[in-house]
Amino acid sequence: MDITLEVNGETRHLSIDPRVTLLDALRERLGITGPKKGCDRGQCGACTVHVDGRPVLACLTLAATVREPVRTVEGLAADGRPHPVQQAFAEQDALQCGFCTSGQVMSAVAAVEQEVADVREFMSGNLCRCAAYPNIVAAVEQARSTKESADARV
Amino acid sequence: MTMRTDAPLKTSGAARYGLDVTPPGTVYGYVVTSTIAHGEITAMDVAAVRAAPGVLAVYTPFDPLPLRTPMSPLLGETWVPLQDTEVTYYGQPVGFVVAETFEQARDAALLVEVTYDRRPARTSLHAGLADALDAPPSLHGEPPTLQVLADGVESIEDALAASAVRVDATYETATQNHAAMEPHSAVAVWEDGRLTLYSGTQGSDLQAAQLAQALDVEPARVRALNPFVGGAFGGKGHAGVSAFLGAAAARDLGRPVKAALTREQVFTATATRPATVQRLRIGADADGRLTALAHDSWSSTTATPSFVEPTSHGTSREWYTTPNLAITQKMVPLHVPPTTFMRAPGEAPGSFALESAMDELAVALGMDPVELRLRNSSIAPPGRDLQWSSKHLDECFTLGAQRFGWAQRHRRRVDRDWLVGYGTATAMFPALRFPCAVRITLRPDDTAEVATSGADPGTGLRTVLSLFGAEALAIPPERVEAALGDSTLPPGGMSGGSTATASVGSAIAVGAPAVIDALVAVATGPGGLFEGREVAYADGRVFAEGDSATFGEVLRAAGRDEVTAIGTSAPGEEMTKHSFSSFGAQFCEVRVHRWTREVRMSRMLGVFDAGRIVHEQAARSQIMGGMIWGVSAALHEGLEIEESGRPANGDFASYLIPVNADIPTVDVEFVRYPDTLHNPVGARGLGEISVVGVAAAIANAVYDATGIRVRRIPIVLEDLLE
Ligand code: FES
Ligand code: FES
Repeated sequence: MDITLEVNGETRHLSIDPRVTLLDALRERLGITGPKKGCDRGQCGACTVHVDGRPVLACLTLAATVREPVRTVEGLAADGRPHPVQQAFAEQDALQCGFCTSGQVMSAVAAVEQEVADVREFMSGNLCRCAAYPNIVAAVEQARSTKESADARV
Repeated sequence: MTMRTDAPLKTSGAARYGLDVTPPGTVYGYVVTSTIAHGEITAMDVAAVRAAPGVLAVYTPFDPLPLRTPMSPLLGETWVPLQDTEVTYYGQPVGFVVAETFEQARDAALLVEVTYDRRPARTSLHAGLADALDAPPSLHGEPPTLQVLADGVESIEDALAASAVRVDATYETATQNHAAMEPHSAVAVWEDGRLTLYSGTQGSDLQAAQLAQALDVEPARVRALNPFVGGAFGGKGHAGVSAFLGAAAARDLGRPVKAALTREQVFTATATRPATVQRLRIGADADGRLTALAHDSWSSTTATPSFVEPTSHGTSREWYTTPNLAITQKMVPLHVPPTTFMRAPGEAPGSFALESAMDELAVALGMDPVELRLRNSSIAPPGRDLQWSSKHLDECFTLGAQRFGWAQRHRRRVDRDWLVGYGTATAMFPALRFPCAVRITLRPDDTAEVATSGADPGTGLRTVLSLFGAEALAIPPERVEAALGDSTLPPGGMSGGSTATASVGSAIAVGAPAVIDALVAVATGPGGLFEGREVAYADGRVFAEGDSATFGEVLRAAGRDEVTAIGTSAPGEEMTKHSFSSFGAQFCEVRVHRWTREVRMSRMLGVFDAGRIVHEQAARSQIMGGMIWGVSAALHEGLEIEESGRPANGDFASYLIPVNADIPTVDVEFVRYPDTLHNPVGARGLGEISVVGVAAAIANAVYDATGIRVRRIPIVLEDLLE
């Protein structure tokens, strides 16, 4: 079937099998490989992307059902500058192997945007076998204070 | 301090892992696995598979891809799939379906009909204890049964019987899976009889060598690439089934093949850490000095025995001073998934047993567990002459006890509905290094490259290469580019055994002076900037009297694209002079819910003596991760093998590993004593020691909180019901 996806601000047309997940559409058809396949079952969070601004598991979402804009980790930087969450992940060393990181970053962006009360709880859908958890929390806190000071300036 | 050099790539999605490559014309492979644990495949009906849309090929033991069994000095034999009809574990790869798309391959693979001649499967470690076999000699060539007895002592039993205080207890640890977030996978491309393989492994040159042997092609015709590896932990040392089948199918079909195991397949078709049973008998005098230590170990292994978890050799053999020591290592062959090394193989489960038993001894003696450990600290492994090169375990314990507030542990602590307890344990892991070659290149733009085939599976090796290169060349790290994860680079060996930092550091220490010599030769040689003059190198510049130039200027003046040198190193004479190990003290606080018996780790501290710390931030991260692995072993993870051989919890929904909410702050501290007796850079490696002892520290804390001694991990609620 023919579908249209808006990914990171670009409109992309695809002719795909209805069984294709959003994750496989991005990775195998569009060459957008930031989102990772850690389980393909909705159990690890490595595939987390935003659809219409909300985090979703791309492996549990059929590409053909997606109508709203998709944003992946590749679409976070603005004007060539990393998103404050990406910057915070790098500065806090909130990663080791990096395989979970794209998903962690997308969940973390949502955590900051939604001003969640319990960061550790909110981030618990994203497994990290390297166990960078304390640094991931520190990165979310850092990005949150960056956002607060930016908000205060506005 | 610069951040991990690949952090910008990893946080932006730009880091390319094995499966992130999709060459034009790529087709997709899907592995089919067995649904019995033991027997013979008598037939496979693949007619429906072949007829399914998009299917290009179906490979089975009846229609196999030819593969030979590779053999390497470091890894031994590596199993290759589909070469016979024997099934020896549930979830064994028995087929490979290749189709135009992933969806077609996956759905077609479901149509394979396998007929088995089933045989009884042995799957219980407990049932096999009675007729366990002696394990093969240890990695260091020590026999499975080993005794050191004081003069005049007839047997370890006599020594135990003569001890004033005794502990005799049996401990158990679970089968575990490495569960790296990146499933084992490969993309294989053939061009003009040459294979390029993109696959996350712990060593690209090892991977290439295994593939070349399996495929029966010259090693020079295989290039393995793994610039980014999504975690390994020992589980990506051997080349995997996706690599073998993908490469062989790509050759057969003349198309690039991409193949990945599903998460469920990773739990059976890769390898696991064996389950263990360990009996500890410790005797001490009334002052807490050990008089006898006996550690009997049983490990599960595969039906045709392979890797055995060396729990007693990895711990009791070396850790404490005792006049009488006896260790045994047995194995129980079972129809279970392959076994292999996993983060601190031997030491991690071994330390659960030894360090729990030491805690039991402390209780029996009425002695502070920290004091007991200090009192028995060894200066050399029992029965050996070679002393530890640099050991500051006492400092780890005293510093840690202070920082953790260990003195508070006597108060009976109840915090609302939570019972609070403290626990501690020793951590040790041998300091090793492997043969390693690193190429150093100076370039006309005043940058340098440091290159080796080794892997950075999240350890920070890429960053460490830049830092060591910068240090050896006396230039800023920003000007040193690291290249790794490519089998065409000088052989850097395997990222395993906590060896990589010490190994590459030693090689760079040899290579840097050589490349500087080569640069000087260019500067002073015919047509050189300082032809015929006396020169010296410092801070990236060549100095002649009254004059100087950067190395880039020297190269440009001589019209040279680069100068290069390869430094090699290997363990050597130092091994005849000292024993080498890293050391640490683990502390943790747990809370056990009074009514539900839930256990939460609420606070932990590890203090480590691991030689020089090269990159503080990456070092802390790696240690923190390892300590959390210990929490996982203690409270979360274990692969449950059913009687049939099927794993009961082989997916991420039911194989539990900690999530963010399980982990509060983890405190890490180092005592910093560079160990230059071990290697010129003084670093000893951090990847494994961090997990060692943690599970015991947690079980000891659970005892402190509840008075209940749990001798089996992971600890579950039922263990704590009264
Ligand atoms: S790949 Fe989607 S949750 Fe694991
Ligand atoms: S960084 Fe390796 S899994 Fe999270």
